[in-house]
Amino acid sequence: MFKYVTHACRRKRIPGLLFFLLVMPLLCAAEVQRSANEENGLEKWHFIDSDIEIELVQRLPDQTRALFMNHAFSREVIEQLALSCMFQTIVRNTGKSGAGQVIAIDLTQWRMQHAGKTGSILLKEPLLASWSDEDADAAAKLVIRWGMFPTQQEYLPDDYNWGLTAYGIPPGSTFDLAVTWREGEVQRSGEIKGIVCAPDVDKLK
Amino acid sequence: MKIIINLFVWWSLAAAVFAGQTLTPIPGKVVAPDFALQDTNGKTHRLSDYRGRPVIINFWTTWCPPCREELPSMNRAWHLIREEGIAMLAINMGEDEDTIFIFSADYPTDFPILMDQTGEVIEQWPVKGLPTTYVIAPDGTIAYRAIGSREWDARELLDVIRQLKEQRQEPD
Repeated sequence: MFKYVTHACRRKRIPGLLFFLLVMPLLCAAEVQRSANEENGLEKWHFIDSDIEIELVQRLPDQTRALFMNHAFSREVIEQLALSCMFQTIVRNTGKSGAGQVIAIDLTQWRMQHAGKTGSILLKEPLLASWSDEDADAAAKLVIRWGMFPTQQEYLPDDYNWGLTAYGIPPGSTFDLAVTWREGEVQRSGEIKGIVCAPDVDKLK
Repeated sequence: MKIIINLFVWWSLAAAVFAGQTLTPIPGKVVAPDFALQDTNGKTHRLSDYRGRPVIINFWTTWCPPCREELPSMNRAWHLIREEGIAMLAINMGEDEDTIFIFSADYPTDFPILMDQTGEVIEQWPVKGLPTTYVIAPDGTIAYRAIGSREWDARELLDVIRQLKEQRQEPD
């Protein structure tokens, strides 16, 4: 397993040795663990900072095709989704600090960097708006509406949510992801570097 | 030094409490939106018919991994509470009877599975992602919420729901 620290604590001067000893390790413990599933080879990036955990698990384009072929999407839309670099994504408020803080995320604020350019990740609202009834019927749109990760959401301690996030770049591409979230009244941020989209079937060995 | 040790012990206990199976209390006596949905046997269930008893309402789909993860514990919980006057309804979002029937071979459930095929009911509720579960108090208000899966047969979790039976039946 590959493991490294992504960023230093962003807080300003902290008074008190006691606070430093008890709380600072939690606030400054941002790290990203990169690992691979031994059975299927799919990779996972696990970001941990204070009370938040974010997991991104690779999803093969064929897995995405299989999911959406069971619903009334056009062939073009299925390929669009399959080749959009999807990750199974989990966000969790661990509450491990004991402070009971609400965590709020807003995916419109997340930024990805790929091939020297910085941009937004692919959100479900513009995707849904771009499709005609021929591209996806109402039932199929429900799968996107509830299968893709909520654009905004608040998490109390122990809450977690699962969903798909998409990055709109080709299979096998590498990108960095700048994540932001609000923890109580504090806006926080971190970075997950070197995320790799799962390859398509023609690249599998 | 003693103060530091005491604070560390307090912090450790607090962290342990937050790491358990928990439900989030919903403040403000929000009345749960009523619905009328058919279950997989064709019987219509109205939430208002369950007034006077706690109701666990779980929103899920067959293609949602954490939904599948918690279904076995929900079924075990159902067998623990069904004789205690607590109801459990799982509302499937967007799928038909055949899909649920095939799925139930691998994930058998004994409590009612309702079908919200058009997604109209889930849109009336403050659900952002799946699974989300609400616990409705006997007075029809939303008492607790859980985002993500839980081990529903955990005693500490069921005891919280059992305590709702003591509440008055009319909202303030």
